[in-house]
Amino acid sequence: MIFFYLLWVVAPIFAGASVEDGQHYQLPGGVTKFLDVNESNEIALRFTAEGMATFFDVGTGAVRDTVDFQRTLTRIKSVYPESATYALLDDAGNLNILRASYPISFEGDTRSIGAELDYLFSDRWLELGDVVDFDVHTVDGTLTIAVLDGLTLRMNRFSDTEPGFGLEFPRTREIGLEQTYDRVLFGPRGRWLFLLDDTGVVEVLEVSRSGMIKPIHHRRVASETVNVITIEPLLGRYSLLVADDQQHITQWFLVRGEFGVALEPIRRFHLGADVTRILPEARRKGFAAIDTSGSVHLLYTTSERILTVHPLREAEITAAVISPRSDILLTAAGDSSINGYHLYNEHPDISWSALWSKVWYEGYQQPIYSWQSSSADNDFEAKFSLTPLLFGTLKAAFYAMMFAVPIAIMGALYTAYFMAPSMRRIVKPGIEIMAALPTVILGFLAGLWLAPLLEANLSAVIAILLVLPAGVVLLSFVCQRLPERLSSSIDGWYGLLIVPVIVATVAAAFSFNPTLEQVFFGGDAAAWFQNHLGLHYDQRNALVVGLAMGLAVIPTIFSIAEDAIYGVPTHLINGSLALGATRWQTLIRVVVLTASPGIFSAVMIGLGRAVGETMIVLMATGNTPVMDWNIFQGMRTFAANIAVELPESAVDSSHYRILFLAALVLFLITFAFNTVAELVRQRLRTRYGNL
Amino acid sequence: MLQADKTTYQSWISSGEIWIWMNAAAVGISIAAVGGLLGLIAARGLAHFWPADIAAITYTRESGTEAFALGEMIESERLALIQYRDATGDTTEFPEGIEEVDRWLIKTGNRRVDPPDFQWIYNHRISSISYPEAVAVFERMEWGNAYGELHSVLENTEVVASGSEVWPELESRLERVEAIRDEIGDIEQGEFNAINYDLEQIRLERRKLELDDAVAAAPRSEREADLTAEEVLLNRRYHTAESTLRTLIEQRSRDAIEIELSTGQILNINLAQLVRAWRPNQMSVVDKLVLYGSSVWLFLSEDPREANTEGGIFPAIFGTVMMVLLMSLLVTPLGVIAAVYLREYAKQGPFVQLIRIAVNNLAGVPSIVYGVFGLGFFVYFVGGNLDQLFFQASLPAPTFGTPGLLWASLTLALLTVPVVVVSTEEGLTRIPRAIREGSLALGATKAETLFKVVLPIASPSILTGVILAVARAAGEVAPLMLVGVVKLAPTLPMDGNFPYMHLERKFMHLGFHIFDVGFQSPNVEAARPIVYATALLLVLIIIALNLSAILLRTRLENRYRGVES
Repeated sequence: MIFFYLLWVVAPIFAGASVEDGQHYQLPGGVTKFLDVNESNEIALRFTAEGMATFFDVGTGAVRDTVDFQRTLTRIKSVYPESATYALLDDAGNLNILRASYPISFEGDTRSIGAELDYLFSDRWLELGDVVDFDVHTVDGTLTIAVLDGLTLRMNRFSDTEPGFGLEFPRTREIGLEQTYDRVLFGPRGRWLFLLDDTGVVEVLEVSRSGMIKPIHHRRVASETVNVITIEPLLGRYSLLVADDQQHITQWFLVRGEFGVALEPIRRFHLGADVTRILPEARRKGFAAIDTSGSVHLLYTTSERILTVHPLREAEITAAVISPRSDILLTAAGDSSINGYHLYNEHPDISWSALWSKVWYEGYQQPIYSWQSSSADNDFEAKFSLTPLLFGTLKAAFYAMMFAVPIAIMGALYTAYFMAPSMRRIVKPGIEIMAALPTVILGFLAGLWLAPLLEANLSAVIAILLVLPAGVVLLSFVCQRLPERLSSSIDGWYGLLIVPVIVATVAAAFSFNPTLEQVFFGGDAAAWFQNHLGLHYDQRNALVVGLAMGLAVIPTIFSIAEDAIYGVPTHLINGSLALGATRWQTLIRVVVLTASPGIFSAVMIGLGRAVGETMIVLMATGNTPVMDWNIFQGMRTFAANIAVELPESAVDSSHYRILFLAALVLFLITFAFNTVAELVRQRLRTRYGNL
Repeated sequence: MLQADKTTYQSWISSGEIWIWMNAAAVGISIAAVGGLLGLIAARGLAHFWPADIAAITYTRESGTEAFALGEMIESERLALIQYRDATGDTTEFPEGIEEVDRWLIKTGNRRVDPPDFQWIYNHRISSISYPEAVAVFERMEWGNAYGELHSVLENTEVVASGSEVWPELESRLERVEAIRDEIGDIEQGEFNAINYDLEQIRLERRKLELDDAVAAAPRSEREADLTAEEVLLNRRYHTAESTLRTLIEQRSRDAIEIELSTGQILNINLAQLVRAWRPNQMSVVDKLVLYGSSVWLFLSEDPREANTEGGIFPAIFGTVMMVLLMSLLVTPLGVIAAVYLREYAKQGPFVQLIRIAVNNLAGVPSIVYGVFGLGFFVYFVGGNLDQLFFQASLPAPTFGTPGLLWASLTLALLTVPVVVVSTEEGLTRIPRAIREGSLALGATKAETLFKVVLPIASPSILTGVILAVARAAGEVAPLMLVGVVKLAPTLPMDGNFPYMHLERKFMHLGFHIFDVGFQSPNVEAARPIVYATALLLVLIIIALNLSAILLRTRLENRYRGVES
């Protein structure tokens, strides 16, 4: 049931998108030049070339309000990065900026929405002169207008603007250009300017904080033989989408390389028809493309998905827009009719490749694996690669098993085969109680006590690894030389005898730590590893997790393995011993061999537990999603990631569903381990039955 | 002789004794780890409550000036010289042969007045340590302990006692403040809580009335009038309670004390801000034990203070117990019915085999996955729909559509079902055929046999399963973080307002408390003892539960030995 519920939540992310025909209605005359839809999808705004602005109901097409500017409008643009703010340019080269607002009022319980269009600053139009193209950008009260006019680029910057007050005293800068361009576009945060010409030449200029303009990069985004049809920026304006007459749309963005920044082709979509118009989405890195055959394609850059194709009802389109929530597409035809389409496109940002492969994210130098689910920016490209999390999960489990498997299995062998029965009766439940120890306590000890301890005593830990086995060998040798009577009486109690040796070794190692640090590592082992081996040392690292989680897993493995070994039929053992094999030979050649499926299943179950463990990893690592096998660095696992992010993610968002997917993956992994273990165990049971 | 030695050596190698010892070492490590961990938690957790002596330390600062510190010596540490140099920037020459230095962590308290409240002092800088008898610890409501000498007791800023009478005076006045504090607590928790709850109910009632179109105009206005009248009454009660409270609060802050800190500064502490005060340096061991007992009691019975880093953990204990009880109510029938079906009724075949594997598998599913499932399915899906159906009035604020006690218990019940199923099944298998057949032969039906004979005999194993389930649930944190645990719940999930149990409320939990205080509190150093103490409590609870399960199992085994013979 859990599985199916998780699947049910996860499934929508892989479902494609669909488009459904919606309303069709006729608006009063005029050719629609520009369309926009408000946030709640209730009211749309249209500008005509004749200077009419009309608000109309999205559902019915009923006209709400009309404003007549009594000028012929040549260009209408959205002011980047504001919403519902428009820059209008008339045929005499005059510009003004307007803002549409949709106040909501309540009368009793009935909600009504208004629609108003106001000049953002004043009704005095700015004279720009001859204009080939322009773009407007505003940030923190500074409004910048870039004007392209033949071989010059002019930039007017207005500081400390406030809505309602006029635009005055611009600082103007002008630079000459080597060739003419057809379009100008502000880049991210107004820090760059893109100049584009219709043949596919792009010039990138850097705009300094004080308004200085400096060319930094120049390149063609299409080969000589290919004609560029249209270029549009993606949300955030880091990327340009270039549509050419080879039925391709190519995403380009600036990549910082050895020789400064350069525009690079990132990914290419093949659409099967030439694209005439690209409509970027307002909140995501997706876009719609309308092709020459009159079909609309929905695409998404990060996930490289072509989600759906849908034929439009009209071939000739003069304006089109996708609503802010990306769920409605409005298109305007030449006969001043409007067509609405419903877009069902909830999770375009996720695809198999976006989750598991390297993805070239905006602003990065090469494709990478990255998990970065949220950020303060609105135009942030969410990075949902599960690979680093899977890696972290496996890394944590790997180090835990490295520690746990030898100790648990060797311990189980000893307990089941050599230990005195009276001691076994105490040791076994004792270790099993450890399994019940809450992991939050282990995690807290690991994070707050063990981690600083290890950091300060790294050389002692390394020393223990070397000295302890030597100490055991020594003890073994000493006991061997003991008189027969004494040695046989301690037989079966080795496990207890050895505890003081272990404690003494550990204590000695810790007390000699400063000396060891001094002699072998120049005083600071962590720094030594960093400098000599290039291993970065985090305080909360895989070593700490391995030890703590190992402790959590040991009892599980121990208990099951011990049962399997204890269950080996005695006549097998007696037979082997009777044939002259030593105890050790019998153990390795007969007992372990017979019990090996049981031991295997114990390891599998332990692994399942290690993979799904949450609290220890959460508390004992830095939870950074790095991909590095370095034992001194942390990791972020599926389980910890879910625990950290799920309470904060919006219900039914892509992020929420991906976290459910992570849970599902975790479920499947442990399910697989457990099933294998269970099957093996059942076979073992029948085999013991036969013996 | 040499020859003989060599053969012993060879036989020693070939006999594999080394490997046996290696295996023994693995057991030894496990034992040492278990013992060490438990010992560590116990030592640190218990030491927290011990009224440690306060040391007065005179030492030289790095700048060479003489300084004086008053506080508890927490722990000492040994540093390599180079680490010491890195940490302090001290470049002075040390005598030949000295390669390490010792330092003490001193808790100097007095937060807000004389920061920092913890500091390291290097042994070689200390010139003298003494334990002056007059020095006292003042446990404050806010900002942790203060250390200093009691100077005088004030009433309304007038000095009423100084010199030798200060301590008896302080004690009697502190008792008075405590009595007032209890009274205030009673009003806030009892009266205020009840009034607020009733007011909220009236608001919801009114909203429900608004939403319900079926009610005619006349009864509607009548009902509304009733509600308004009730509201007026409640508001009047509220005002009376409020004015009583205000006078009490005024009375509470009548007295104050002045203490002299190690810096010579005089610190004024209002008695309303003082929890307890004691002078450890002149206390006998018996006195200390008494104080120790009362500290432990305060820890178990008080509400937390200072973002959970001080005070007690009572709400966390209460929340854990409530959750676990509710969970056992849910899990017991579920697990027992499933086990009975699998063992007694279902036809043993590949299908039942499959179910059994699934149940076993369920036990291995990571707990966080249950948390995800609980959040998505119980909270958002079931809870959201419940809200739509029954709690329309309080929407858009969710009632059950948000993490809460009920969902946490349900999630954990799901998590622990396999434990109960496996244990019950084991119990059912052990019942000898003869007993069943005897019952059936006497004419009992299958159901009668089940309820009157089989289940009672299997009851210890069912109980074992439930205890193990409880032990597992008490220690589980990861799923709870998603489905209902919070760092500080404003109200307990049970109080005097009808229906007394509030299953939709969020609650506190011991395990989460450990995580939260240990990792998300602003002052980790000050919070650490609390975390150890909480961890100790949790470990004790869980070990006790597990031990009782083991004992039960042993008794059960003995009983069957009787049945079989």
